Parts: sequence; structure tokens; C-alpha cells
Amino acid sequence: MLSLKLERRGEVSRKFSAAVSGFFLLAGLFFASIIFELLGVSAVETFSRVVSVFTSQSSLMQAILRGLPIGFAALGLCLAFKMNFWNIGAEGQMYMGMTAATGVVLLHAYYGYIPDFLVFPAMVAAGFLAGGLYCTLPAFLKVKFGVNEILPTLMLNYIAMHFVNFLITGPWRDPRGFGFPLSIIFPPYARMETFLGHANFIGLPAAITAAALIFGLLQKTSIGFEMRVLGQNFEAARYAGVKIGRTLLTGSMVAGGLAGIGGLVIVSGMLGRLRPGAPAGYGYTAIIIAFLAFLNPWLAVPAAIFFGGLLVAGDVIQATLNLPFAAVQIFQSTIFLMIIVGEFFKRYKIRVVR
Amino acid sequence: MEKKAGISRRKFLAVSSGVAAGSVAAGVVAGGLAGYFIGQSQAPAAVTRTVTAPAGTVTTTVTAPPKRLKVGYVYVGPVGDYGWTFAHDQGRKWADARYRNVDSFYIESVPEAQALGAIESLVNQGADLVITTSFGYMDATAEAAARHPGKYFVHISGYRSGAAGNAPQNMSSAFAEFYQLYYLNGLAAGAVSQTGVVGYVAAFPIPEVVRHINAFVLGANYSYKKRTGRNIRAFVNWIFAWFDPGKAREAAVALIEQSNADVLAFTEDTPTTLQVAEEYTTRRNRRTWSFSHYNDMSGYGKNSHLTGQIVNWGPIYLDFYRMVGTGSWQSVDIWTRIGDYMPYRWRRPAEKSTAGEVDGTLQLPPVHPSVPSEWQLEIKRRYEEMKELLFEPFSVEGNLGEPIRDQRGQVRIKGTERADWKMLWEMDWFVEYVESELPR
Repeated sequence: MLSLKLERRGEVSRKFSAAVSGFFLLAGLFFASIIFELLGVSAVETFSRVVSVFTSQSSLMQAILRGLPIGFAALGLCLAFKMNFWNIGAEGQMYMGMTAATGVVLLHAYYGYIPDFLVFPAMVAAGFLAGGLYCTLPAFLKVKFGVNEILPTLMLNYIAMHFVNFLITGPWRDPRGFGFPLSIIFPPYARMETFLGHANFIGLPAAITAAALIFGLLQKTSIGFEMRVLGQNFEAARYAGVKIGRTLLTGSMVAGGLAGIGGLVIVSGMLGRLRPGAPAGYGYTAIIIAFLAFLNPWLAVPAAIFFGGLLVAGDVIQATLNLPFAAVQIFQSTIFLMIIVGEFFKRYKIRVVR
Repeated sequence: MEKKAGISRRKFLAVSSGVAAGSVAAGVVAGGLAGYFIGQSQAPAAVTRTVTAPAGTVTTTVTAPPKRLKVGYVYVGPVGDYGWTFAHDQGRKWADARYRNVDSFYIESVPEAQALGAIESLVNQGADLVITTSFGYMDATAEAAARHPGKYFVHISGYRSGAAGNAPQNMSSAFAEFYQLYYLNGLAAGAVSQTGVVGYVAAFPIPEVVRHINAFVLGANYSYKKRTGRNIRAFVNWIFAWFDPGKAREAAVALIEQSNADVLAFTEDTPTTLQVAEEYTTRRNRRTWSFSHYNDMSGYGKNSHLTGQIVNWGPIYLDFYRMVGTGSWQSVDIWTRIGDYMPYRWRRPAEKSTAGEVDGTLQLPPVHPSVPSEWQLEIKRRYEEMKELLFEPFSVEGNLGEPIRDQRGQVRIKGTERADWKMLWEMDWFVEYVESELPR
């Protein structure tokens, strides 16, 4: 009698890990090329267009810009998931971050508070605080009443979405916008590209700094150690005297705050105004990216930029090869699926037992 | 047992990781080269032209005009949505078939936050003209127009253009306006409604949608009140999405079940509402009607398709192709109604009406035979009058001689007034027959 058995691997070498990743990446490209060939386009040409996204300067800048909000949110999620805090609410935290940032702009534009040069720093602070506080709400429920965080974080996304809809169809609507649900256009000093010419030039260093800070927080501080312990084993952490409430609230504040910064990047770096549906699902994408980065803060931003590149590549192959969007989605998801399957095989091996 | 393969695991790993790294590297090189050549072939070719002038020989280098016009489209949904985006794609094909010397391509399902990137991709592909087909792309289109002064941009359904003075001169805006058709749809709705309640599944509370709701409800009230002496009652459900069949379905079912509506109009990009009406008509024994929106959806509701609003974007696109192709661009703000882009626009007798055919950019789909013949004729008469703008739905005449009041009882249109462009464009109030609140 043959049967398959899953066995956990111990530590694996970097070489092995790279080999598995490479193999499954190739497998993903192979499956994708079957699909492209079935659709009647040359797979080689398609892949060369995809690669050209990462080699040409203008499309690489686009890839980075699209990756940045996802990257910030994914960084926060790395931290949250390390604590075993299953935050599905990055989308809502992005909404809150962009709402607070827009609020600062409106406070400035409508009532003249805050000098010009302080507007952007105030937006950053407000975005971080709003996203963070919105994330501490489910953390508080978890600490105080033992409520599982998954459902509250998910449902808070919808509350945030409708809150933005309310603001933007009501009090925050552009008075000269013909009644369309949009805020006013941000002044230049509230836009990221005014500082160094492109939103990436301050966004990317900021993202890398944030990654370093998260890494430092997790690896070099005692509260970071407590967070990791909390993630490994809740009961052990409690037994060891970890202040669970304080740790969870701090961690969720930082995690949500980073998602809020992601929201700020969307309104300040990309759109230049608040509009309904602005996060465009980036908060959910960030969950995939966090896992793609193996919850490693250093990898979160590159993974997000890689995904941003795939988004741009999707546009390029649609425009040049007349492929439908669905084919692009299949391509993107095949690659991701294969990477995740590869992760599985790094941790487990399948043994045939007889 | 383990050695059977004849190659040690370590060796296999070393080889396979080498192969993996090597092929990734090869892919990068090949892709980079291909990308380089693609970039090369797009560079505009410089042509040296020698002109013999009386004073001597002058050699000038000019940029060759594009041999074929290249047009890129940005779509908000999939081309297979059988609604908004499908109609744009049909318009693209219509214009391409007539202009001939054009290559067009598109990117579909572009979220609004990614619009600028998509437009940049199209410009990088060499597009001379980029047409963006969702309201949410407006700012991105204006930004791209500012970045690429040598290219031309058309935005559909917005209010920014060089002509309007709030965008660069290489940006135009265009829209095919439906409120007259919605009024005619309302006439049909009021003529068949048994419950006296009409419902509306609406995407976003923007002036366009509010205007359409009001026109539809005014029309429904006109015919229903003339038939029964009672006012129509109307309910609106907002779904806050352009393409979300699930939410549209919930909204439509709620309008039937909770508000007792038996005619459902909608402004969102799927045929879901019509499908729900068909389901209630055929399987739940509850006569319910709905419409086509943006293209012919009658196949989704053979028994419940009353009439609708169909667009033909083609003539607008063709107009822009010609402007760019002949170098005669000027920034315009196009807003088409019944009669526009028709070879002639004089009205015909109701019996010989062209209602039901494609007229210019619009089409009123054939009205279901369940609508009594006197109302069929009335719809055609109004249609013909609107070709010459002799009749305006937002007028006292369009409301059975009564002034048009909003929900709070305030008179908005009285006497001989007609809604002007500004009122239509900024409409943020519901007519009194609507019982739902307008989110604000």
C-alpha cells in the first residue's frame, strides 16, 4: 500500500532554497507560456516584453510607483503576521491614512491652518496615526475581549470605504467639481513629486528606511523580541511575562500606520486628490506580497516592486499583443502560485511510504 | 534506493540551481535586447528633405508624420462586460473600420489609481492619440497631456479639456448624453407599470447619474399619471461600483422585493438588473421590466426587455481620428444628444420616426410591444421633437404642465424655463417623485 506523507524539513541551505525557487519560477513561466501559445501569441515575445518592463527606465519607475503603496502596507503586514495578528484590514487602514492626509490638506486649503512647508510632514504624521489607530481598534478588541481579529479587520475595510464615500459625496466634495465625488486637487507642496521631481525619489528611500526600522524593531529591541515570541506561542509568551496588551497594541499601531502611509502615497504620489475606491485593492494585494516576502521586512519592498512590474507588464502586453486582461491575470497568478508552491516545498517534502 | 537515479542529490541541486540562475540571466539578456529593439523601432524616423528654392538649396530635417495613425484606448472594465466598456470597444471597431489608416490597441480593466501608468504604456507603444474611457481617468489624462505635448488625448465623461480651460490644449473631452433617452424609457416604464413604483440601480451619486434618474422618473411620472391620475413613486439603490454584478443583483432584488418596483432602470456596467427582471418575470411569476444600457442587452431578458439606451461612440472617435490624422486638432468639449452626428437632423412624423435605429451616437432600442400603441407613438413623437431640441424633458411641458420640484418641495423649473447646460451638469437634487435620499 503506497501512501504519500508530508514531512517537515529542517533548516535548508540557501543554495537549495534558490534552486527550488528557480525551478518553480521556471515551471510558472512554462505553464504561462502554454497559455500564451494557446492564445496564439509567442511566449518568447511576451516574456521579452515583460522583462523589458524592468529594463526600461520609464516603465521601471512606474513599477516602483505602483509597488510603493503595496510595499508600505506589506511591511506593516510582515510585522503584524510575525505577531500572529492576522490583519486583513490593510485596505481600510490605507483608506484611513489617505483620509487623514486629505483632511490635513483641506484644513490647510479651506481654513489656512498649517504653513505650506509643514503640510506634507503633517500629512505623513496624520496618515500614520490614522492608519495605526484604525488598526489598534481590532487589536484592542482582541486584547480586551479575546475577539479574533480576522473578521473585525476585514469588516472595518467596508466601514472605511463607506466613510470615505460619505466624506467625498458630502462635506469634502470639491465645490467646483460639478458635483462629482472628488476632493479638491492637492496643492503642489502636498504632492510627493514636488520634492525631488518624482514621487519615487522620496518614496523609495522612505520605504527602505521603513524596512530597516521594522527589521531593527523586530530583531534588536526587546519589544520586537516580545512580538516574535507572541507570534510563536501565545501561551508561552503569557507565561514568560510578555505584556501582551502593550505588545499587540504597539505592533498593530506600527502595522496599521505603515498601511496608512501606503494610503498617503496613493493620494499624494499617484492621484493628487481623494476619490472613492482609491486604494484599488492594494491593501489586499499587500497580504500576498507579505507572504511572497516570507514576512521578511527586507524583501517586502522588492517583492512589491516586482508585483508593480507585473502590473505594468500586464498593461504592456495587453497594448502590444492584444491579449485580454484575463490572460494577464492568469499569467500573474500562475507566477505567484508557483512561487508559493515553491515555498511549500522548501518547508516540506513529500515521501512515498509503503 | 536513493542512488538509483545515478546522480547525487547535491549534484542535482548544484546543476538545477545553475540551470535556473543561467536561464533567468538568459531571459533578462534576451528580454533586454528585445526591449531595446522594440524601443528602437518606435523612435520616430527622421527624414531629410531637400527643397530646391530659388535662393539656393536648403536642406531641412523634419520629423516624418506617422505613416499610420496609432490610437490607444484605456478601458475601465473588461471588453466582455456587455456594458460600458463593450460599447467603447464596439465604437473603436466602428471607427477603425471607417478610417482604415489606423492601428488601435487597448488596455482593459485599468483601476483608476493606475490610469497614468496605463496611459504612459500606450504612449510608449507609440500612440498618437490616447482615449481614456472612464470618469476616474480625468486627472491622469490631463497630467499625461501636460507631459506629452506632442500627443493628443481624449477623455470620455469628464469636465476637463483645453476647451473648458482646465486642462492642456491637447486634451479634449466627449460624452454621449443619455438623459433624453432615459426620459423616453421613463415614458415606456410609466406606460406598463402596474405597481406604480419604479426602481433604479445606480453606480455613483455623480451629476450624470442623478440627471439620468431624474429624467427617467419624470418620464415615468408623465405617462403613469396620465394613465392613472396618480404620481409615480421611485426608489434608488446605490452600489458604489461601476462593475459589480453581485452588488447590482442585491440592489435589484431589494428594489423588487422591498420597494415593490416592477420597472428597473440602471446606470452601471453590467446586464445584471435586466437578468434579475427576467428571472422574476419568467420564474417567479412577477412581471418585471428592465432596459438595455450602453449596448443591446435584449438577449439577457427576452421577456422583460422594455427598451433602453444604446450608444454608438464610433462617430465621436472617428471625428478625433480625422482631427489627429489631418493635423487639424483643436480642443473640444463634445456632448452629444439625439440628433448630433446625424447626416440630417430634421424631425419626421411620428409614424415615420427613425426611433429604434442608430442615429448619430445614440439609439433607442425598439420598444417592447406590451407598451400600448398610443404610448409607442408618443415616445416616437418626443424622440423626433428632441432631434431638433423642440422638446426638453427638464421643462414644465415634460412634467405634465406642472413645475418641476425637488424632494424638499423647492421649485427648480417653472414657466417656460428649460434646464440649461449648467443645471444638467451640476444636478445634485432629486425630483419630488423619488423617495430615496441622495447621498451627500
